[in-house]
Amino acid sequence: MHIPDGFLDAKTAALGAGLAVVGVGIALRSVRRAGSARRVPLIGLAAAFVFAAQMLNFPVAGGTSGHLIGAVLVAVLLGPSAAVLTLTTVLIVQCFMFADGGLTALGANIFNMAIVASGVGYATYALVRRAAGPSLRARLLATAFAAWVSTVVAAVACAGELALAGTVAWRIALPAMAGVHMLIGAGEAVITTLVVAGIARVRPELLEAAADAGGPLRAREAAAYGLLVAVGLVCFVAPFASGWPDGLERVAASLGFAHRTAAPVVSAPLPDYALPGLGRAAVSTIVAGTVGTLLAFGLAYVLARALTPARAAGRHPNPGGAPGA
Amino acid sequence: MNALEVRHLGYRYPDRSEALRDVSFAVAEGERVGLIGPNGAGKSTLLLHLNGLLPETPAAEPAVSVLGTPVAEPHLPAIRAQVGLLFQDPDDQLFCPTVWEDVAFGPQQLGLRGAELSGRVERALAQVGLAGFEERLPHHLSRGEKRRACLAGLLACEARLLALDEPTSDLDPRGRRELKALLGTLPVTQVIATHDLELVVEICPRVIVLDRGAVVAQGRTVEVLNDEPLMLAHGLERPHVLRHRHPH
Amino acid sequence: MHDGWLNPYRHRASLIHRLPAAVKLVAAAAGVLAAVLLPPGAWGACAGLAGGLLVAALLSAVPLRDLGRRLLLVEPFAIGVALLALFQPDGLRIFLALLAKSTLCLGCVILLNATTRLTDLLLALRRLRLPALLVTTVGLMHRYLFVLTAELVRLRRARRSRTLARGRRAAWRGAATVAAQLFIRSSERAERVYAAMCARGWPP
Repeated sequence: MHIPDGFLDAKTAALGAGLAVVGVGIALRSVRRAGSARRVPLIGLAAAFVFAAQMLNFPVAGGTSGHLIGAVLVAVLLGPSAAVLTLTTVLIVQCFMFADGGLTALGANIFNMAIVASGVGYATYALVRRAAGPSLRARLLATAFAAWVSTVVAAVACAGELALAGTVAWRIALPAMAGVHMLIGAGEAVITTLVVAGIARVRPELLEAAADAGGPLRAREAAAYGLLVAVGLVCFVAPFASGWPDGLERVAASLGFAHRTAAPVVSAPLPDYALPGLGRAAVSTIVAGTVGTLLAFGLAYVLARALTPARAAGRHPNPGGAPGA
Repeated sequence: MNALEVRHLGYRYPDRSEALRDVSFAVAEGERVGLIGPNGAGKSTLLLHLNGLLPETPAAEPAVSVLGTPVAEPHLPAIRAQVGLLFQDPDDQLFCPTVWEDVAFGPQQLGLRGAELSGRVERALAQVGLAGFEERLPHHLSRGEKRRACLAGLLACEARLLALDEPTSDLDPRGRRELKALLGTLPVTQVIATHDLELVVEICPRVIVLDRGAVVAQGRTVEVLNDEPLMLAHGLERPHVLRHRHPH
Repeated sequence: MHDGWLNPYRHRASLIHRLPAAVKLVAAAAGVLAAVLLPPGAWGACAGLAGGLLVAALLSAVPLRDLGRRLLLVEPFAIGVALLALFQPDGLRIFLALLAKSTLCLGCVILLNATTRLTDLLLALRRLRLPALLVTTVGLMHRYLFVLTAELVRLRRARRSRTLARGRRAAWRGAATVAAQLFIRSSERAERVYAAMCARGWPP
């Protein structure tokens, strides 16, 4: 999802850069607090890990294979702010050393893949965990679903940026990016969850260390990222979500076919229902999105069940420390 | 004043198992002492106490003192300049992008800048035989060169005591020879934790044997290492170089 | 060392190589910015930029074939996204403009990293007010990139030697286990690096 140079116009690139500066600033402030010197080598090594791990092949079909993206993996293991900085580090190196992602697009890429992916991913993870409990299975469920959600939302932000810049029309960008990333997100969910399960088998305390450390501070951080992501999405996506520029609708209206349903992106099960202010295509997109999300959640649940050894499924994780201490 | 004094040092791992038990010894300035013992004896753990990286929570009475100063707050920054700890894996210790930057890291933390800093770095690199390696990337160095670069980083801080964790492990014969020659000529106090018993015989007049966290023997190297029952009892053996020596 | 692909820097004693990193960074950024701000039909200006880039590449003494190969390696991503641009009014013109712009920009960045060491680039970025913490993490990532990829190769080899089942499921489980092991080793190494940094007086 690395946007190259030349695909974003000046205003979109500047907006992306501004959002990135704010988001990375939040992460830096949170990591610079006391006791945080220890995290610096961890972030550097985690960045090297993400880069190396992205080279692993997960064969899909024919000669193609999937790869790990890593935002949610790092967020689950190190926390949201460390994840933002880790992914930012990776993106900087990829941009300058490998020309992967443009120089002018670096801000937008950081916003999408470091801030949105980590922030939305961690928030989803935390919410699902709070709802589902402290067991390993709940954690894996939360990880899988969060990985999918974060991939898709990051893709939506990316689509919004491309559309705002006038590079790709919104009605192409959204289905192309979001659609493809729903599939990629499924792969990311499986891979991330498999890796987390693997770590839990060998070094469960690494999962504990990231969980729930610094409650109220974490909540404030999460709120800050949430706000920033919301602002970004509003800037990039909102101009297109309302007043849906559906060429076919306009044509149908002008030719007097307004009473027939125009061809939607996905055939909507509720063709006569339209939300106020949105066209029918928007409804069907929302339906498609909701169905996709529910499907993803269901698959995440199945995956978590499959990966949890039966005896560990309901067990509460051991608080670190000696037995009886 | 001794370069190093350890008095009744004990330490437990976070899971409460015992790592060190009542360890006591002293090292005079300029001495080279070998620290030997089987795997898991606690050699590395002991070395980590010499510059205050352990214990994690300070003890009421510090058991270790370096050049008369207890190894505890608020002396730790000064201690860490004086005690150069060579880690077992040079890749852990060479964390800067170039050799120059890595050797300069320590002196920079001490506040040196400009010509004074470059002078220190150059002298340290020359001392270990790596003059001209300033711009090299660490991962392009051989293991022996990496070890020497790590040593340069310690010497650049003008360390008075070197604590070396397995300095000759994983080195090819040439690397080992070069490092041994280097250590033998450095006029700095050294505590060398190692499995390389030949090295100990060749450059350490005195040796301490550690097993299961306790000192089981200390004394002149040739005497201790010739005591075959003692060596075998503690997972070691009498080195070949002593076997084939004539008794006088 | 088979890590040439991880390190794009090509050492030559050329005029370009000798320039300070900050100058090269600003020049590359200016080139990229100029290309991005070009209106879609300005082919003359495009050609001018391309000419300037070619001159710089020739001055740098880095083989053009080397640079060209790296350009071809990253082009496909740009082309892929650019194809989406075709589906709109005036799509072809936008598509061609996108390709021209992104190729020019890629050329600037590739020339930059072929002639400038990352460590020098980092110092320049630090002077341009990039936060110190990020400079440290980028430096650490660069340093341990090679260590971790070598470790990855060893872990993968070991895992493959012991994978007797065939098929996707075994491959996925194997790759995930390797990733998990690599993460555990990396976080343990991070602890040791932290100790090594503290042993030499960090943080100041």
